[in-house]
Amino acid sequence: MADPACTAFAGKTPPRSWGRALLLTLPIALWSLFMSLRGLLQPDRSLQIASALTAAFLIALFFMMMKTSSTYRWRRWFFVALGVLFPIEFIHNVMVLRGSMGIPIEEMIAGRTPFCFLPIPLLILPAALTKTLVFPGSLLPGGGMAGAGMAAMAGLWLAITLVVGKGWCSYACFFGGIEEGMAALPKKAHWKKLDPRLRLVPWAVLLAMVLLSLALFEPAYCMWLCPFKAVSEYVAARNTVGMVQNGIFVVLFAALVIVLPLLTKKRTQCTFLCPFGAFQSIFNKTSVFDIKIDRTVCSPCVLCQKSCPTMSLTDESIKKGETLMSCMKCGACVDACPKGAAVWHIRGTQVAVKPERARLMFLYAAWAMAAMFGGTIITQDLATILQRVI
Amino acid sequence: MGGPFLVGEAFLLGLASGPACVASCGPVVVPSLLAEGAGWRLNARYLSSFLGTRFLGYLLFAAIAWELGVLVSPPPAVRTLIYGGIHVLLGVALLWYARSIGRGCAHACAASGLVSIGRVGKRGVPGAAILGLLTGVSLCPPFVAAGLRAAQLSNLAAALLFFAVFFVATTLWFVPFVGMGCVRRNASVIFVARTAMILVALYYLLAGVAMLAGRRIYG
Amino acid sequence: MKWPTSKLGYTAAGMTVVVAMLVPFLLFGLFTKGFTKLGLRVDEMYSGGPTVRTIQADGYTVTIHKAVYPHLLQTEKPFVQLDWKPVNALPQHVSDAVDVDGDGQPDVRVSFDVPKDPKTPLRVDVDALNPRYQAMRNVGKQKFSELIVRVDDAILVRVPLTGR
Ligand code: SF4
Repeated sequence: MADPACTAFAGKTPPRSWGRALLLTLPIALWSLFMSLRGLLQPDRSLQIASALTAAFLIALFFMMMKTSSTYRWRRWFFVALGVLFPIEFIHNVMVLRGSMGIPIEEMIAGRTPFCFLPIPLLILPAALTKTLVFPGSLLPGGGMAGAGMAAMAGLWLAITLVVGKGWCSYACFFGGIEEGMAALPKKAHWKKLDPRLRLVPWAVLLAMVLLSLALFEPAYCMWLCPFKAVSEYVAARNTVGMVQNGIFVVLFAALVIVLPLLTKKRTQCTFLCPFGAFQSIFNKTSVFDIKIDRTVCSPCVLCQKSCPTMSLTDESIKKGETLMSCMKCGACVDACPKGAAVWHIRGTQVAVKPERARLMFLYAAWAMAAMFGGTIITQDLATILQRVI
Repeated sequence: MGGPFLVGEAFLLGLASGPACVASCGPVVVPSLLAEGAGWRLNARYLSSFLGTRFLGYLLFAAIAWELGVLVSPPPAVRTLIYGGIHVLLGVALLWYARSIGRGCAHACAASGLVSIGRVGKRGVPGAAILGLLTGVSLCPPFVAAGLRAAQLSNLAAALLFFAVFFVATTLWFVPFVGMGCVRRNASVIFVARTAMILVALYYLLAGVAMLAGRRIYG
Repeated sequence: MKWPTSKLGYTAAGMTVVVAMLVPFLLFGLFTKGFTKLGLRVDEMYSGGPTVRTIQADGYTVTIHKAVYPHLLQTEKPFVQLDWKPVNALPQHVSDAVDVDGDGQPDVRVSFDVPKDPKTPLRVDVDALNPRYQAMRNVGKQKFSELIVRVDDAILVRVPLTGR
């Protein structure tokens, strides 16, 4: 429990002065500029502008995080931008390259199916047992469409996961932004009573998909359930079953990514379906950063519970002063708590003692990853749009 | 073919095929076993029921395979119909199983019994037995390979012996599943297992209907 | 009493920040290389299996791949993949008898037209000269195990095996 002398600092961190906020932003500003250097040095004008805009955007958001001590709403701008721009660029690329969002069989044979991170948990068992990757991609560094080779994606995933753990779902995932944007639109949630058991569905999806992927020797989630196929690529429907699969993708996307977030103000796809999110929750156990509820200050008003986009706070977990394993460190609960009882925390340290230090350390690590991965994607997306416009 | 050689061949084929059997039965066995109560005894009972009827399925298949000699490679249309039908049955059995969880008697005996499909109150059939029979008859491709071999044998007894030994060897790979008895069962685990069963069932139903309707699943 | 664990926590947090800095310069490359070194390969149902032999024809080559067998519940048939390349050296109509198993006897006769436009759908006829291989009539690209497709500079034909 926190030492009373130290809890004098508990509660909301007051806004910082401009100078101090600027100073704290400096490392990330340098990092972001460094990340955009490659684009800035290219002769392509659109890429130069896109790189500059992205760097400015990321620096400005981080500055606001430092200035206001609020995390969630500024991070959300980045995350929504990433989530919205990514499919635009992706669809544009596949349309230019192959004239359709459907992956023709020859592209699969050529190993040019773009590999995203979602099938990673499904590939582990077949790979461990047979040394085979059940995905029509490529292992070469520049393999896959637009260089999205499986090895590169796996390497990037592992590295970022090492740093942010489940924070992947808030600072790296290029799919979650659409629903986060949708959830931000309404003022109030229209559906408030959600069965808490639904939170467990992603684990069931993970279990079923891992087992089916091994039995069928194919990435079962990509073939049958991924809502984001509706805004990326899908198996060109060569038969009725293909049409059924594509129908499932569209219905799930419409329901979980568009309609339900509008009604519930939650990230419903992440909370009620995503098997990768469930898998990534395991890495919450390996991460040194987490969110705690300081029970000496908590009333409890459950505003944190209401604000959590993934239902990662329950009455019981609040009583225990913890979040659930599914917490993705978005910071919404910390921002929502009027008493400053929800705090950033470093494992092993006392709860609510220097929570701002924990937040800063986490944000430096997480934002560095966001600028490196999401920032690069946003730059590419903006450059494509600018190329079309200019 | 000499007896010991036959036994040895069947045993080796079974051992080599075991991982494939476990993988192909995995989507059925793992969630349904997880949905049962905890404790290695109960889980061992589940596996005995499952494997017992799977064995029956094997023998049935062996007898027919030997009788017809060609059943293991019937015309593709017929095979698709058989597989489609069994997929649908398996999907229905899984859904029924998922529905039956926690519907048995509410006494302490419920905790020690396997989930049974059928009438509540009277003795129903253990769900594990039904799943074992259906997976035994249809799903395991290595088993089809064993069927091919059995069909070449000179008499029915040899074919049955071949299958029995093949079965025993594949069964060794299922033994570690008893360890799932150590997994703590609470409402969350049961919910996850049940939901996973429903998802797997939906897949089998869809795949089965597609096969029956003459549609290809992939390609 | 809490002091050492908190020190450990801060050290780990500090190391996480350092690790983050190392990701683009070291860890990303290291993990990517490590992944390629695991010796994994893409499922042959997609990739077509390793090359066994190359037959030299009139200005072009026919590459024969090792037979691929489906895994577990995959509904595809076993097949062998044959590649004709380069496409621009192929005659307008190809009709080759190919010795797939290397026993000196032709096993299949594969016939297809080579359209000028790479986007034109391809069709193939395969006559089985050996009962191990399945004949195909006017087949396009409906299954991984039965198809003709153009991939870059090659035309790929996959001939199913009958299991005999
Ligand atoms: S518990 Fe807090 S930080 Fe974690 S996901 Fe919910 S709102 Fe975000």
